[in-house]
Amino acid sequence: MAAAWLGLLVLVAVAAPWLPLPYPPNVPDLAHVAQAPLSPGQHWLGTDAQGLDVLSLLVYGSRTAVFITFPAAVLAAMVGGVLGGAAGFWGNRVRAAAGYWLLALGAAWWFLRLPMFGLGLLMAAAGVARLLWRPRRGAAYSTSVPLDAAVMGVATALDTIPHLVLVLAIAAGTGGVSALGLLAILAFTAWSTPARLVRAQMRRTRALPFTEAAQAAGIPAWQIWLKHAMPHAISPLRAALPLSLARLLGLESTLSFLGVGLPPEVASWGRLMASFRYDTSAWWVFVFPITILTFSMLSLHFLSSAPRRQAAR
Amino acid sequence: MRIRWARDPETLDPLFAPNLAAFDANNLLHVSLLQGDIATQQLAPALAEQLPTVQLVGDSLTRLQYRIRPAATWDNGRAVLASDVDFTLKLMLCPGLPNEAARNQYSFIRAVLPHPQDPRRFTLLCRGQSLEFAQASGDFFILPEHSLDPRGLLRRWSLADLQRQPLPLPADSGARAVAQQYLAAVASRSSNRLSGCGPYELLKWEKDRFLSFRRKPRWWGSRLQPAPLVLQARPQQLEYVIIPDVATAALALQRGDVDVFPQMPAREFARLRAAPAARSALRFYTSPSYDVATAGFNTRHPALADALTRRALSRCFDAAGLLRATQLGEGQRTVGIISPADRANYNDSLAPVPFAPDSAVALLRRAGWQRRSAPHEGWFRSTGRGADQQLRLLVRYRAEEVLFGTVALQFQAAAASIGVPVTLRPTEPGTFATAMRSGDFDVYLRVLRGNPFMFNFTQLLHSASANNVTKFGTPASDRLIAAIARADNPARRTALLRQFQALLQAEAPIVPLFYLPNRVAANRALTGLHVGSLRPGFAAATIERVAQPAP
Amino acid sequence: MALRIAWHLLRTGLAAWALVSVVFLLIHRDLGAVQLGSPDASEQRGSGVPLSAAAQAATEQAIDQRLGLDEPLFYVSPPAEARASWRWNGLRNQYHRWATQLLRGNLGQSYRTGRAVGAELADALAFTLPLTGLAVALSVGGALLLALGLAGRPWWQRPVRAGLVGLQALPLFGVGLLLLLAFANPEALDWFPGYGLGQTTDQPPGTWGYLAAYLWHLVLPTAALVLSALPELTLQLHASLVQELGSHYAVTARAKGLAEPAVIRRHALRNALLPSLAQLAELLPALVAGAVVVEVVFALPGMGRLLAGAAVARDAPVLVGGVLLVGAARMLALLATDVLNFWADPRIRWQS
Repeated sequence: MAAAWLGLLVLVAVAAPWLPLPYPPNVPDLAHVAQAPLSPGQHWLGTDAQGLDVLSLLVYGSRTAVFITFPAAVLAAMVGGVLGGAAGFWGNRVRAAAGYWLLALGAAWWFLRLPMFGLGLLMAAAGVARLLWRPRRGAAYSTSVPLDAAVMGVATALDTIPHLVLVLAIAAGTGGVSALGLLAILAFTAWSTPARLVRAQMRRTRALPFTEAAQAAGIPAWQIWLKHAMPHAISPLRAALPLSLARLLGLESTLSFLGVGLPPEVASWGRLMASFRYDTSAWWVFVFPITILTFSMLSLHFLSSAPRRQAAR
Repeated sequence: MRIRWARDPETLDPLFAPNLAAFDANNLLHVSLLQGDIATQQLAPALAEQLPTVQLVGDSLTRLQYRIRPAATWDNGRAVLASDVDFTLKLMLCPGLPNEAARNQYSFIRAVLPHPQDPRRFTLLCRGQSLEFAQASGDFFILPEHSLDPRGLLRRWSLADLQRQPLPLPADSGARAVAQQYLAAVASRSSNRLSGCGPYELLKWEKDRFLSFRRKPRWWGSRLQPAPLVLQARPQQLEYVIIPDVATAALALQRGDVDVFPQMPAREFARLRAAPAARSALRFYTSPSYDVATAGFNTRHPALADALTRRALSRCFDAAGLLRATQLGEGQRTVGIISPADRANYNDSLAPVPFAPDSAVALLRRAGWQRRSAPHEGWFRSTGRGADQQLRLLVRYRAEEVLFGTVALQFQAAAASIGVPVTLRPTEPGTFATAMRSGDFDVYLRVLRGNPFMFNFTQLLHSASANNVTKFGTPASDRLIAAIARADNPARRTALLRQFQALLQAEAPIVPLFYLPNRVAANRALTGLHVGSLRPGFAAATIERVAQPAP
Repeated sequence: MALRIAWHLLRTGLAAWALVSVVFLLIHRDLGAVQLGSPDASEQRGSGVPLSAAAQAATEQAIDQRLGLDEPLFYVSPPAEARASWRWNGLRNQYHRWATQLLRGNLGQSYRTGRAVGAELADALAFTLPLTGLAVALSVGGALLLALGLAGRPWWQRPVRAGLVGLQALPLFGVGLLLLLAFANPEALDWFPGYGLGQTTDQPPGTWGYLAAYLWHLVLPTAALVLSALPELTLQLHASLVQELGSHYAVTARAKGLAEPAVIRRHALRNALLPSLAQLAELLPALVAGAVVVEVVFALPGMGRLLAGAAVARDAPVLVGGVLLVGAARMLALLATDVLNFWADPRIRWQS
């Protein structure tokens, strides 16, 4: 049932250009504005305050949801999961040899075009040399990489700057947002929550006995992380993914409202719902998208909790 | 008496009103020499006894003689004098104040010449000659010198001294002291520190909640018999409540929490007017306004530099359909940027631009464009050197303006039907201003605001003006604009204005689509509500509440 | 322990400073008179002389000078073109001026109102804290109760969970508008006031009547906030609880003969709270940042509208002050989470 609904949604999204819709989603019908469903004019689900056909908007909005919002949520969960998992597992204790540090510093020097750029190259060269001819014995001069602090610091910074300001800065810098750009912005602003959840879970997992046992057995750290710890640590993401999807849809509608969202000719459920603000008697622009959205979220929720139930059985 | 505002006025600086709410509030607190009379749609004498007498000197100077009403006093009983006018004009030139807009607007006033005997009588010496100086010279709020500059620091310099920026050093220190005091008075938000000679004083200001004004018990205007409309102040207390959301404000109006809802959006207005419950409790007013929804072309772009292309594109706007869809039939189509309500000056011999994408194709061909399908579908034109240019457009409008969302979608669909690709870019206000300045657009959509007394297109469309974002300008249009500004009698100006509308339609740097209506919904228990075309669309100070609501 | 907390605080403070500095530079990067200028010149008035490009430039320079935007942004400027190098600007720069003023406790003045930023923020906070504080307390309490109830697998488990997921799909402005249309509408139920916090003229401040009117006005906005925050909190907590109940120690506890509610409350809850603590930390800065959507829909004053308005109008001093405040709240919240994590699961050791 749940899978069938989501499958239908994806099918509609893929097949939207070939569906026999009576009206295109981006041409306003000025003679029939804000019409109720089933009233004369052949708009089955009515039109919104701009004269756009609600049925077409729903169909094409599913494209936006399937091809932009959902990938963004998954991408954010993946990026957040990996970063949060790594930060939680290794904390601030990974050590890197001095050679790597020198190399990174040199590269940054050259990239930022600091004065005396020869110095940067020299430093990078020294780093490479040091890595190639690493002394067999003697001090390694290694310093710990603050992985945890870095990841959490960036996540915190992202959350603290109001998203409004962040997005305005991006939009002002680039002059506008394309569909791919929107996907990137959404993922960029949303990865911090999964990262936090996974990190907290990972810190618990790391303290569990089996991790210590695996360490004692001599399995390399990254294998323990990938094969044993991560599957445990990402469990909060299952419940979080549908929620994060809803949040992204909300953010997308806010962005449209601010004028840095998708271009207006691209249909989106978020914008359709937002147009309810301008005409509260037009219930149909709110009820139809919210129904579809609710069904989709219920299906996602059901699917995400299904494996657990099977395991419990 | 409660009136809805959509936003907080933010500052009540009489020299600089950043938004309409601040402008309305200042109108209650201060009085200018002349004020717009909402009933007659003309400027009427307010602080001045009568309209100024105009005297032309040579061919480049104008002298305007004013006399302040003898009854006019400040709150402490001191008379309002010519020296206060002089002080206000100097304050507009004071460095360190947010007065840059006012400075540019009144830069034509060169000097205030006091009358040797009568301290209320003065002459404004203006550079240039124009019919409009009589009105434009009286359109600022007069501020009290005795409370803002008690030591007379600004008296030491003449207006001309202060106009010479940057100021000489001694003038600078004195002026800065006055500026500091003025800024502190504005920031204090207290009627005691910055008292005007208007009928109301600010009682309380809760940011983002409400502002309440109280009628001064002894205001000089009450002594006038009969009181002209611009100097009437009936309600004892006026409260402006700030409700940003339209739906919330409409609910408050229905509940009786708010009495007047000015500038109501079309759809909400129509919905309430159709609802029986609301109809029995509310009264609905409409009047034409002087705001025109306009599309403008960036004529600096090579593709849009010729009039034929612009005229072709202007036929892709379905103004009639948009007017019906977005304003629900109210408002008026127009041929130019003179309101059709202005019967004398509106050029009724012209026909509005038709919605005709088919004829646009013919015009594009005449302009030298060719429709091709390779390398990709579109209209191309050879530039003589290098690659052919393609006709493709970037449309910008402010993202919060829902009206232009519809206009843009309609234009895009019509343009797509004849093969012109259009990109829509709803833009956030700060970025919009930057884009307008830097010319990063092909078509803009925005509202141009006008008024019934002044016809000055210099800033908007003169080629030498930095505010002319279309960068349009031909020698003929510049001459015509200058002639309108300099016209010495109304009949001559009318002839020139009609000519100008024809010229604009032929050149099509801007395409005025339609004039927006002004809609006010108010409680039935109010009388004396004058609704008119002048901003804010109604007069707050003349409203009275009927003790017994009419059955 | 005290030393570690002090070290934590120091680190937190440095991070907050770095963050606010970045925001300051980000906002001021392209800031100029064009965006801050007066209402745009779409009006047909003014003198008969066209405003030349030179006069306009002079006007903009005057605005920049008045607001202190004419100085360079930072101690150094990045290379303008490919061949150029970094340039040293000395101490006369916007960042230095702002930082020294900030250390003296001066956040500057709002570009829009001319008032001190500190006063603006304090005014807004006085309205925001009661609203968001009430909403957070209610939603956390409600989520705890609901999750504990759901963990016992009663018959209403499925419909309630489905309802929560459905509620999650509703955008906040939708919740607010629906509440308004249902409970403050003369055509439906006219139970609650629809906007604002009541007028001062109704009740004198400081009296019981004033307090009652105040709370009465807060009912609908608080309800909207709680309804939008509750599903996520509850579902998260519920998911963790279910997982904990399937783990070995819960099985052991049950085998020892402990009743299910006791297992839930004594054993599982403590562990399940751990991932949710991260979410609680999210709520704390939200307390300070306000809720712009609810504030707009219900016409309430507060931080959300202040900051959103400042962002749109490019009112940089207010914006930077707001970010500083929210950042400080978030850093404190993170510190609190770490301490709570330590309390909830002693196996996690402090990492410095």
